Parts: sequence; structure tokens; C-alpha cells
Amino acid sequence: MVLQARGHGVSPDFLNFIETVLNGLMSGVMYSLVALGFVLIFKASGIFNFAQGVMALFAALTLVGLQTGQVPFAHLINAILGTDIHHWGPGLPTVLAILVTMLVMIALAFLIEKVVLKHLVNQEPIILFMATIGLAYFLEGMGDLMWGADVKALDVGLPSGGSFWWEDVTRAWAPEGADYFGMYIDTLDVSAAIIAVVLVVALTLFSQYTATGRALRAVADDHQAALSVGISLRSIWVIVWSIAGFVALVAGIMWGAKSGVQFSLSLIALKALPVLILGGFTSIPGAIVGGLIIGVGEKLAEAYVGPIVGGAVENWFAYMVALAFLLFRPQGLYGEKIIERI
Amino acid sequence: MNQHIDPGTLRADDGIERGGMLLHVDNISLSFGGVKAITDVSFDVKKGEIRAIIGPNGAGKTSMLNVINGFYHPQEGTITFRGEKRRRMRPHRAASQGIARTFQNIALFKGMTTLDNIMTGRMTLMKSSMLSQAMWWGPAHREEIAHRETVEKIIDFLEIEHIRKTPVGRLPYGLQKRVELGRALAADPALLLLDEPMAGMNLEEKEDMSRFVLDVNQQFGTTIALIEHDMGVVMDLSDRVVVLDYGRKIGDGTPDEVRNNQAVIDAYLGVSHE
Repeated sequence: MVLQARGHGVSPDFLNFIETVLNGLMSGVMYSLVALGFVLIFKASGIFNFAQGVMALFAALTLVGLQTGQVPFAHLINAILGTDIHHWGPGLPTVLAILVTMLVMIALAFLIEKVVLKHLVNQEPIILFMATIGLAYFLEGMGDLMWGADVKALDVGLPSGGSFWWEDVTRAWAPEGADYFGMYIDTLDVSAAIIAVVLVVALTLFSQYTATGRALRAVADDHQAALSVGISLRSIWVIVWSIAGFVALVAGIMWGAKSGVQFSLSLIALKALPVLILGGFTSIPGAIVGGLIIGVGEKLAEAYVGPIVGGAVENWFAYMVALAFLLFRPQGLYGEKIIERI
Repeated sequence: MNQHIDPGTLRADDGIERGGMLLHVDNISLSFGGVKAITDVSFDVKKGEIRAIIGPNGAGKTSMLNVINGFYHPQEGTITFRGEKRRRMRPHRAASQGIARTFQNIALFKGMTTLDNIMTGRMTLMKSSMLSQAMWWGPAHREEIAHRETVEKIIDFLEIEHIRKTPVGRLPYGLQKRVELGRALAADPALLLLDEPMAGMNLEEKEDMSRFVLDVNQQFGTTIALIEHDMGVVMDLSDRVVVLDYGRKIGDGTPDEVRNNQAVIDAYLGVSHE
């Protein structure tokens, strides 16, 4: 390793910089996870799904509920029948709970297609967008009604907390006697990064090398041509929303494990917006790279610009970057170029 | 997609003899608001023939194809395909029953390669479930390979080996038309609808395309209904011709009959105006 230069070691300032970048990459992965769900649906159906963040919340709520054995709609049942039920048992084992939650998300995809999308075929994008706003509120209310509004801890058995090993390794890089105690990296973030990479690779392989993946790409490319070769748009939409539900579940697990399952989780959708503007609404690599850039930029800005302006840079930095992109490169880094023929 | 169709019983052996009735459209009327696109048109397509639909611009030719493959739903009339009579087609039903088509303004998946584009043509013939595909499960994998072999044969037949891996958006117009024909052929269609297959082509490209159309018809026995403006091509290729004008049928018969039909000459060829 270059960093293990003998004798003098690496300056702690530089090591701090590296630490900031690493942490930025980790939180960027979390943004990418949410942005990914948006891109999948946008590509296949041209719908900007405002409910993606709430879907992540709903998935996490359902997962915790199943894990801890909560009775769904307990409050409602108690209020109507005057009973006092809250738990039906010790709950499902984690793996089973995740599987059942996935089934719930697939059922949700079916319902969304049946109840909402089916009736809005060939409508303007803005109308579909409004429909997803409605969906977001509905799901938020439903999540509340089913599982209650209290903040819940989610533990799916992933390691969490700082890595002592990494702290020890990095401490040795600094010069002898320097005021440096090693880098802090949350192991949960590392797992999240690994899972995100696996997820993206799996999705890419699926879309490139299977017939269904090909159908998804075909629909994303040209609706009319897709219909003419016998692809049913409606079944493709169910599949796409199921996959988006799956991505939401993964994002929900990661965010829930990190900061607890609470209703502010639905706001992560807002953080995905600048990521999408950066990466382009139609590009999966764009969602990944965009997320990473926002994550790193945010942490660096907080660390180096923050002290000058009194902190809280993290809260607005992403939106400023998005604004700059909208001015100079509205299609994003990887989005399809907007060309208007006259 | 997973349509649960047995290609063996659906495509080749439909019990219709060569020369028997494959498609029958009866008294089709189609309008968009107050605009009448097609008025009371009936004609048939016999198995194994090349049937041309001609007419001046705006005569309702493309609308007719759109009715046959279910993009448009006529207000009146019925469509009988392979003995099954119905009011309206649905695009993916039409495709799974063996109607494949190309478009006037090429509708390919521009971001996908030639190979992938043609593979989508086999969509209705694939039976393995999404889950087994995702798992790269044995049968699903074998099915993919079998379809791939057919597609390679089509690529061979159309002489487009050199562009197999090129995204079709980058190909010149003539080749795109050929890829689109390949995608339609991949469905192993009982009825192939070609909407102006030679539009915008130079002479050499037209000759190539004519040869492919004839070969498809003769080698594979595929029934073809085509729209074309080039009269030379139409008269040479087709067995029978139906002529539309302002949404009405004004002529129907062999190329020679149509050529000598006074109504057709008046309306379409625009001769004998006093």
C-alpha cells in the first residue's frame, strides 16, 4: 500500500479527508438505493413515482410488524371492538418475515395496477404523477393504521457500529505520536454498500440476459413496438412495480436499521430527487453515480465548507448541486439527451 | 412473456389449407370523432398468398392494419382470424395468435441490439416463468438457447450477421427496415403485416427487400398482407390487391384486374380527368 510509507506516515488531515470521502460514498449508496426504485419505474412506464419513499417506509413497517408479531390494524380493532390486542405472538423469524413482506409488496404492485394505473393508460405524465402523490398519502395512512405511528427499531441481524479493526489499521497510517485515532466506519453502512452492489449487479444481469428483462427493456424503449410483438403492458407494469417494491424493501431495511423505522423515512424520497437530476431519470448507472456524488459532495461540503458558514451544509448541498445541473445539463450525467427536431 | 401457448398447435397446423380463408374482415367502419377513417370495408386474406393493400395517402390503409392487429378498435364490423370471429383484437392477443407486423415509421427498440430486437419477436413463444428465468434455471436456459438458434437463422436469412451486436438506433434506414422484418419473422407468424416495407429505400434496397418478401412467402409459406406505394413492386409481388380510397373499398382482385378497373384508375392513378 502506498499509504504505508515507512517512517513519517500520512498526514492526519489527509486521512480525515479520506474518511470523509468513504463515509460520503456509504451514505451515497443509501441515496442510490432509493433513486434506483424511481429510475426502474420511470424507464418502464414514464411515471415519476412520488410514492417510492413511502413504499420503502411501508415495507420496513410491515417487516418490523411481522418480525415482532404485531397485529395489523390493532388500534382500529381495539377502538371498534373495545378489545386490547396488540401482538399475536413472538413474531416471524427474520428471513420468513422478509419473504412475506416481499409477497406483500408484490400484492401491492398488483393492486396499484388494478386500481390506479389501468384506468390511467394514455393519460398525461402529470396526471400519473398526481396519482402517485395520492398513492403516497394513502400508503402512509395505511402504514399508520396497520402498524401504528411509533418509532420502531429494525434489526435484521446485520452487523452495526464502528469497525475497530479499520480504526486500528488506519491509526497505524498516521505518523508516530500524531493526534489521530483512526477512521470511523459504520459496519452497517458497509453491509448496505455490499448489498446495494449485489442488487444492482443482479438487476443488470436480469434485464440483460433474461426474456422478461428483455421485455422490460423493450417496453421502456417503445410502447407501440412492444405491444406489436405481444408484450402485455399491464403485466410488465406489475413486474416493474414489484421490482420497485423489492428495491423499496431493501432500501427500507437499510434505512430502518440505520435510523429506526419512522415516518420521516418517507422523506428520503426528497433526497433521491437531486440524485435523479444528477444521474438522469432514465439511467440506472446514473442513479448509482449520482447517489455517490451527492453523498461524497455532501460530506465534504459539511466538513470543509460547514465550519465557515456555521454548519448544516448537508441539508441543502444536494439541492444546490441539482439546481446547477438543471441550469447547465438538464438531462443529467447519463440521461438521454433532449433533442427537439423542428 | 408467459402466455401459455403451444406454438406447435397455434402456428403451423391451424387446419387451414393453403388457399383457405385465414383472415376475413367484414364491414369494418372506424372513425375518430367525426373523421371517418374506414367505411364499411370487407376483404379476405387467403393462406399462403401475398395480399397488397393500396390506395392514395389517407385512404385508410394503415388504419386497416391497426384494426387487424388491435391497435384500433372499429366501431362496426368483425374480424375473423383462423376461424375465430371477434369485434376487436387486442395487440398482445393478436401477436400471440400469430399476427406480426412492421411499421411505416420503423418502431424498433432503438437502444437494444439487432439480436435483442429480433429476440423480442419470440416473446409470445416463450413459456418459462419469470422466476425460473431469474434463477437461470435449466429449462428456462435451454428455452432461451433454442429461441436463440431460430433467431440466428433469421439473421442469416436476412444477411445481417455483421450488425448482430449493433444498437439498432445507429443503423442506416434500410438496415433498420430489415431488422424490423426480422423481428416480425421471429414470431413465426401466421399472418405478416408489412406497412410500406420499401418506403424511403433506393432501388437496390427495394430489390433486396422484394427478394426477402418473396422468399419469406415461398420458403416459409408465410401469408403476407402489405401496404406499398411503389406500383411496380406491388404488381410484381402480390397475388391479389385490395384498393382503398377515402376509407372505402373501390377495387379488389388480381393485379391485372385492378390495373384495368376504371374506378381504380379514376380515383387512384388519377388518369382520365376531363
